[in-house]
Amino acid sequence: MKASLSFFVLLLTCSLSEPLFAQQLHPVIDAQIEAATNKPIAPPSTDSEFVRRIYLDLVGQIPTSQEAEQFINDSSRAKRQTLIDKLLQDDRYSRRMSEAFNVMLMERRGEDPDWQAFLSHSFQGNIAWDQMVSSMVFPDEQNEQTRGSAYFLTKRLEKYGQNPTDFPGLARDIGRMFLGMDLACAQCHDHLFIDDYKQADFQGLFAFINNSFIRRDTDYPAIGMKPVKTKLAFNSVFEEGEFSTGPKLPGLDEIPIPEFVTGEEFATPPNKETKAPGVPKFNPLKFLAEQLPTQANDSFNLNAANRIWFLMMGRGIVHPLDLHHSDNPASHPELLQLMAEAFAAHDYDIKWLVREIALSATYQRTSMVTTGLDDAKPREYRLFHEKPMSAEQLMWSMITATGHLQHIPDTTNTSTSQTDEEQDQLPLGLEHIRADFLAAFANPPREPETEFAPSVRGALFVLNGPRVLDWLESRPDNLTAKLETLETGFATPLYLAVLSRKPTQEEADKFNQYIESQSDKSTAIKQAIWALLASNEFAINH
Amino acid sequence: MTQSPNNSERHPLCNTAEHVFTRRQLLGGSTTGLIGLGGLGGLVNPLFAKEMKSKEKQVLFIWIDGGMSQLESWDPKPNTQFGGPFRSIPTTIPGIHVSELMPKTSQIMHKLAVDRGVSTFDNSHSAGVPRINRGDPKDRGVIYPYFGSAVANLMGPGNSGLPPYVWVKPGSGGFKYQDAGFLGPKFGALAIGEGEPPPNILLPETLSSTNNADRNSLREFANQQYSQKRPPKFSEAQNFVYDTAQALMQKRSLFDNPDPKDVARYGDTPLGRDMLIGRKMIEAGVRFVKVNSYGWDTHGDNFNAHASLMPRFDQAFTAVVEDLDERGMLDHVLVIAMSEFGRTPRINGHIGRDHWPEAWSIAMTGTGIKQGAIIGSTNDDGTWVTSEPHDIGHFFHTWFNALGIDSEHTEYINDGQPLPIADEECSPIRELLS
Repeated sequence: MKASLSFFVLLLTCSLSEPLFAQQLHPVIDAQIEAATNKPIAPPSTDSEFVRRIYLDLVGQIPTSQEAEQFINDSSRAKRQTLIDKLLQDDRYSRRMSEAFNVMLMERRGEDPDWQAFLSHSFQGNIAWDQMVSSMVFPDEQNEQTRGSAYFLTKRLEKYGQNPTDFPGLARDIGRMFLGMDLACAQCHDHLFIDDYKQADFQGLFAFINNSFIRRDTDYPAIGMKPVKTKLAFNSVFEEGEFSTGPKLPGLDEIPIPEFVTGEEFATPPNKETKAPGVPKFNPLKFLAEQLPTQANDSFNLNAANRIWFLMMGRGIVHPLDLHHSDNPASHPELLQLMAEAFAAHDYDIKWLVREIALSATYQRTSMVTTGLDDAKPREYRLFHEKPMSAEQLMWSMITATGHLQHIPDTTNTSTSQTDEEQDQLPLGLEHIRADFLAAFANPPREPETEFAPSVRGALFVLNGPRVLDWLESRPDNLTAKLETLETGFATPLYLAVLSRKPTQEEADKFNQYIESQSDKSTAIKQAIWALLASNEFAINH
Repeated sequence: MTQSPNNSERHPLCNTAEHVFTRRQLLGGSTTGLIGLGGLGGLVNPLFAKEMKSKEKQVLFIWIDGGMSQLESWDPKPNTQFGGPFRSIPTTIPGIHVSELMPKTSQIMHKLAVDRGVSTFDNSHSAGVPRINRGDPKDRGVIYPYFGSAVANLMGPGNSGLPPYVWVKPGSGGFKYQDAGFLGPKFGALAIGEGEPPPNILLPETLSSTNNADRNSLREFANQQYSQKRPPKFSEAQNFVYDTAQALMQKRSLFDNPDPKDVARYGDTPLGRDMLIGRKMIEAGVRFVKVNSYGWDTHGDNFNAHASLMPRFDQAFTAVVEDLDERGMLDHVLVIAMSEFGRTPRINGHIGRDHWPEAWSIAMTGTGIKQGAIIGSTNDDGTWVTSEPHDIGHFFHTWFNALGIDSEHTEYINDGQPLPIADEECSPIRELLS
């Protein structure tokens, strides 16, 4: 074990750019994880566990019963890798990644079509993470495909409630999302409990954005910048003295603020006719885009690798994700460093890193506790630990399990033509379904969705809400209708459709006997489907 | 209390190997998912056996939004320049008078405690309401919880199976997370709007109770199968929210049409309706119930407005105190009635009274409170406090102590940051405590 580890480390440090290594990060992952423990490690997942997990993680939904069964019955040796590669090419991959990154980056602040377009475009084209970040912090409004990226900035500058424009919140989130550093407590003084976080770090980030504003002359998200003439002055509530800083990233040099003669600050002066604001010659965001997403910026690389690892593994190697500092050490610092360097060396190719993690034995381990694993801690990765499902994953999975996808009407162009009668009924379009699921399962705005946080609201939605119960009604080719054609043997198709696995004998007996014993078979079938949809096994990604 | 404020050890009950929570969860980071509703209040530091005994205590918090006039209620100044047109009337406590607009309350005065020497700092609704509700703590860069979320966290949900914090109010209902601040959404309120049950609480008409029992029995079977081979953490959390949801469904009678006799006693008004639901919630074992009355911001026509508003409060408040007293529940239920501030003694050009945090009154009764303690005083015009002024921080200390929580030695720990549960420059008001 140790030998192979050293080998890979050597390989990595010597030849990062070698194409051979390009295919081979996953053995490094496994060697590092296994070398860090002398305790038992869980065996590989079953095919059923794997097929459900990989569909949820790469395409954002459980497999259909056909997809699950086909995979389980496939006897080829390389079938896991084949499936991973197939799903990475699936159209639903970009949908899944757009949803996951939207949740991560915007934390349920709201929705915007141009922002969605930016995310879709990025993941369809597998745009590199450094380019995506560059677009987010310094949007190019000439590029119609990517300019929605400005929403990352503009949404955070919108006022909410009675609060003033939250410039500090935006500075904080740039630190959290792109550097893995939550500097909120360092706004007014050096952080009291985290020695690494200095007030100057926060203020340096703040100086990039404190002159920005939301442009009101566009119908897409766009950010403007007032001319920056002086350094940002600040005081500490603990230390005597006056301090000042220009725009500055933690660990990098301060950016000098050029002096312009009054009247000469603008490259393009404000246009009173179009109401377009002036474009200043000096824009700190341009420097942010140049300095933040770079190979030389360790914090940027570590944060990116850690967040993608989190997406796949459910826990950051540094956790919480936004508290990278020396008192909150990584569970596997060397692995994180190697992944970060390799990710940077691979031009921030998200799909490549996702694929490497998916190929690792670490990702593919079972989540079932067996002998010697009772004390397995999430930070050890000796077991695959259960992960929460997002509102979107739950929605797509329930649609898939019940076979309802085919019955969702396309309402994109017909929303205004509803008859009075239809208006009294449950609105059936995908946008309404999505709104219902977000209301039931998403966190409130500005709350990261990184921990498992089930709610009474969500439970009541499943128990009594009309949405899911409606999907249990028999409709052509849906799950209920399929089970209604059977006389016996309900459990196997039921379990394959909802839980992506075949039932045990005990489970088959329980469900078959229940349905067969009921005089109203149709109702019994709906009850059985509901029971599995509402089960913990369904609600958890395991 | 024997605990040390600096002791940051985790709670001894949360130490078993199968309950390995992440640090952020244990310490109550903003996304606390698990300890929240189900545990013993993972933030309390430390929480020892002595305080565990307080877990059956409950709170009925009556929030009079907009600002009740102290001069038309608890601290009348008849026949003075700012006194207004109403007389004062004697109460069951010799020498103590209240406004004639609260005749019923005057007859239970010996059961209440009132502080007429309240002096707070914010005279705007937008900042004042949250500041008062949070106990006006020092700004430490975090958003403090409202009192209800604080109690929900510090004392847990109890044994009712119901959510620990229920907010009965006019307007919209649903799950309102905003009160929870840094404690995280789990400590937000389940709001009952317009007396309507929360969304999806009623079993659909298409399902019989047998159907419901059947499907849940199958669900529980499936959960048992799953949990046999998995760590317990996620399953327990998931089971807890389903159990709570089902407990709410079982309590649907809380939302049935009320007994006409109760309606007659509480008043056929929104406040009467909500106070009655509030009492039922307390009887059902909810830890903290906030009953909300709106519309008290009487900048114009203050006297007609109070002539209309006060009798509704008088009736509902008296009815609920009497009901709790009759049932022996004041032994363990703390009742508080308050606004975000009082109203100006000076009468403005619109015959109204404006915002006046400088001198106003708060009333309370129930567990831990000395009945009949009418403390604090204002000058003859009612403009300033002449006794030792009491800020909202003093009241938070007082109420926490009434609930058996040592407010001067208990802290929240938020992401490693220790935070006092009440303003450390204030202390309990001993004259109000029994």
